[in-house]
Order: sequence, then structure tokens, then C-alpha cells
Amino acid sequence: MHGVGNATALRISDLDVSLGSRRVLQDVSFTVDARSTFAVIGGSGCGKTTLLRAIAGLTPIERGRIEVDGRPVEGLAPNRRDVVYLNQEPLLFPHLNLFENLAFGLRLRRRPREEIAVRVDALLSALDLRGLEARQPQALSGGQKQRAAFGRALAVEPAMMLLDEPFGSLDPTTRESMQDLFKQVSRERGITAVFVTHDLKESLRVGDQFAALRDGRCCVYADRAAFCRDPATGVARETAFWSASVEP
Amino acid sequence: MIRRVGSVLRWLVVWLPIGLLGLWSVTRRWPWPALLPTQWQLSAWSDVLGTAGLGPTVLRSVAISTTVALGASIAGFLTSRSAARHARREGLYVFLHLPFVISPVVLGVSLDYLFLRLGVAERAAGVILGQGIVAYAYAVILLSGFWNERIRAFADGAATLGATGLQVWTRVLWPIARPLLAVCLLQTFLISWFDYALVLLIGGGRVVTLTTALYQYFASGDVRLAAACALLLVAPPLLALALHRYPRSTTLIDGWPH
Repeated sequence: MHGVGNATALRISDLDVSLGSRRVLQDVSFTVDARSTFAVIGGSGCGKTTLLRAIAGLTPIERGRIEVDGRPVEGLAPNRRDVVYLNQEPLLFPHLNLFENLAFGLRLRRRPREEIAVRVDALLSALDLRGLEARQPQALSGGQKQRAAFGRALAVEPAMMLLDEPFGSLDPTTRESMQDLFKQVSRERGITAVFVTHDLKESLRVGDQFAALRDGRCCVYADRAAFCRDPATGVARETAFWSASVEP
Repeated sequence: MIRRVGSVLRWLVVWLPIGLLGLWSVTRRWPWPALLPTQWQLSAWSDVLGTAGLGPTVLRSVAISTTVALGASIAGFLTSRSAARHARREGLYVFLHLPFVISPVVLGVSLDYLFLRLGVAERAAGVILGQGIVAYAYAVILLSGFWNERIRAFADGAATLGATGLQVWTRVLWPIARPLLAVCLLQTFLISWFDYALVLLIGGGRVVTLTTALYQYFASGDVRLAAACALLLVAPPLLALALHRYPRSTTLIDGWPH
């Protein structure tokens, strides 16, 4: 089931990024359909974070083109790209309570007070955070922080969300529930996302489109089956391992 | 039990010398071996605040130290990010430590020569500049630790949520740095407040602050005046200690601390 949406929301063409003298991304090209999640898998240091930071405008690119909803954004500052980057850690602002963290982007956009209250209230319900709005981030659990960081991004209704191994620091149970929540909310709200992870199972759970990053080069798969068939992704190896473990 | 003894000792270390200074400042006669003064008087305080003309000196000291603290902390906050992320920051930090490594007298004499040429020697502006150099170096060293990867991630996150460069500073970096900035303000204020050598050398005796006045009283052998003056001198750190012990809760309205 390739692509939940149809129109192209993100187009990356011939992207090169270097950090210092080291070429981190080379000739990276792919497209992401609107309202779908593009899962990118890769090991440590393969350039996953750099790819997301380049799309968000947080890391300068050397060459290439980035289009969001058909609009070239590579020359724009991060705040003008309409793309929200979610860090590996749920970095809630420590000086703001949960409500104000969720309302942060809306206040920047000078939305009316009543509208902010309604939208944050809806997010609190959708993310199962009701009753916690007055708490400071230090008083929230890991899963609650992650939901809040996700909600803060959702609040501004961006054209694109970039998720950098967002559930990596959570325990397995919370992690699975967050993956389910992400899928549910992203379907309900029609979110377009690039989701990078080193976890094979996670990529299959959240992704609609699939790619793998190896040594700075991006391999895009035609569909889920092609992703699973490629020995380099490790799906076959995992399947063989679990089959051997279950069978006597 | 040990904790209780420790807290009593801490209390004594802080308050016993201050209590003794208070006693000396109101003592007329305190013959040995009496435990307390046998005769009392308030003339030292009336001298200090009245005839000795310490009122303007106190105001001058407060003005100089406040200017130094505000200038050094604001400039230090704005420039410490560049220092912390500079490719040659190690060398930069060695340079920033120089005002604390070399003798205050050598620093004062060197700056005095420079300030004479600039026309600010023997003026409050010169003292502020001289103390400002030391306080600024301290502020950059203290605040550089703030600019870690986590802070960078906060700023990046805010930018992708739509914050302009100015909004990242005012809505994220400044509020997060507030507790550290408060410490920086206090410390740089105290660097200036307790400074003697730079005031003496750059001020050339024409700029009198509370510290130089205190030394004059000590030199003249007037213990009562010196004690009263010393109590004025320790008032700011005591005030800071009291404020630290009883912090007010912070209310956030529209994302801004009030």
C-alpha cells in the first residue's frame, strides 16, 4: 500500500550536504506523497538526522533542491518553511507549563486567545493529556513529554513534520503505544511526515513509503514489499530469526 | 544530629562576624574581659550616614556596581554563545582568565595608563570600564556553559515552530537563562562592589567607593566607623542570600514570566 495520499508534498532533488570536510549526504532524491509517512531507516551516523535538519533549514545544504508543496524552500529560514522538526528528545521548554508548551507556536502566530484555548484543549484530549496542562515538563513522564512535543508540533498545523527517532528513548510498551497514537493522529489529521529510525519494526509500523540511508546515499523502495525483500534492510534476517526462535 | 551541628556552624560562620561588626558599630567602651560592651552609642552610624558623607559614596558604589553588573551580564550573555561555539575557544578562555591570573595592581596600573590616554582616568567612567573588563570576562566564562547542545536544540525547535531570531532570544533563550543570569548579575555586582585595587588605581583617589572609604577608616584606626561601613559593604550579599532563601514562585502568562 504505497502512499496514502496522492499529490507530492515534499520533493528532494540531488541533495548534497557536508559537515566540515565530510560529505554526509550525496545525491539524495525522493518524493513524499501528501498525507503519508515516509519512513527512512538507517544505522547510526548514516546521515538520518542531517537529512531532516537540512529539510528543516537547520543545516546548510551544499547542492540540491527542496520543495514543500511545490514551493522551493532551500533559501528560506527555518521559521518560514512551514516544516516542524521533532528532536530525538522531547524538548519541552522548561520555563513553560504543558499548556503553554502546546500553545507556543500559536502564540508566535498571534492567534486569538479563544482560538488558542480551543485548539490546545482539543490537542490535550486527542493526546490523552487532559488534567496535566498546568504541570511543568519536569513533572511529566517520558511518554507524556513525547506526546506533548508531538502536540506542540501538531498545534501549528505544519505542511510537513520531520520526526527524528522520536520514540527512541521510551520503553517498549510506551513506544508501541506512541507509534499507534502517531498513526492514528496522522491519519485523522492528514499529516505528511518524514520519520527516521534505526528500528526496523518501527519503520514498518509507522511508514507508508520506505527508504534506507546508507553511507549518505538514499535508496527509495517502490512499496512495502520491495522494502521487505531487500536483504540490506534486514527484514528477511529478522523474520528468519523469529521463525527459528518460535519453531523447535 | 550531625546535620543540626552543621547548620548551627554554618549559621555561626555567616552571622557571628556580622553580629560582631554590628556590636562594634554601636560600641563606646568594650573593656576586656566584658562579654558585651559596657557603654553604647549610635554616633558611628550618624557619622557614616551623615557627617562622614557616606550617603553619596553608597549611592556612587551602587551606581557603579549596577552599571558594571548590567553591562557585563548583558554583553556576556550576548557574546558567550559565539565564544562557546568558536573553533579556537580554548585559547579564548585562556585569554578571558587573564584578568584573574595577573595581579590586580598590575592590571590597574596597565589600565590606568590606557585610560589616561583615553581621558577617563580618575573618573567614575574609568572605574566602570576597568571593573567592566574583569566582570565581562567572568560573565563570558560563567555563561559559556549555558550554550550546550540542548540549548541549541531548544533554539532549533523554536525556529521550526515559527520563531524569528529575535523571538528565539526573547521567548526561549532569555527565559531559560534567567536563573543563571541572576547569578551572573549578582556575582558581577559583587566583583565591582568589593573591588579595591582598580578603584584606587584608576580612580586615583578622586573616585571614592565604599571599599576605599572602609580602608580609610581602618587606616585611621576608627574601628566603630570601619564596622558601620563594613556592614554597609556586606548588605548586598546578605540581601541576595535572603532573596535566595525565599524565592517567589513564577507565574507564566501568555508564555512570559511575570
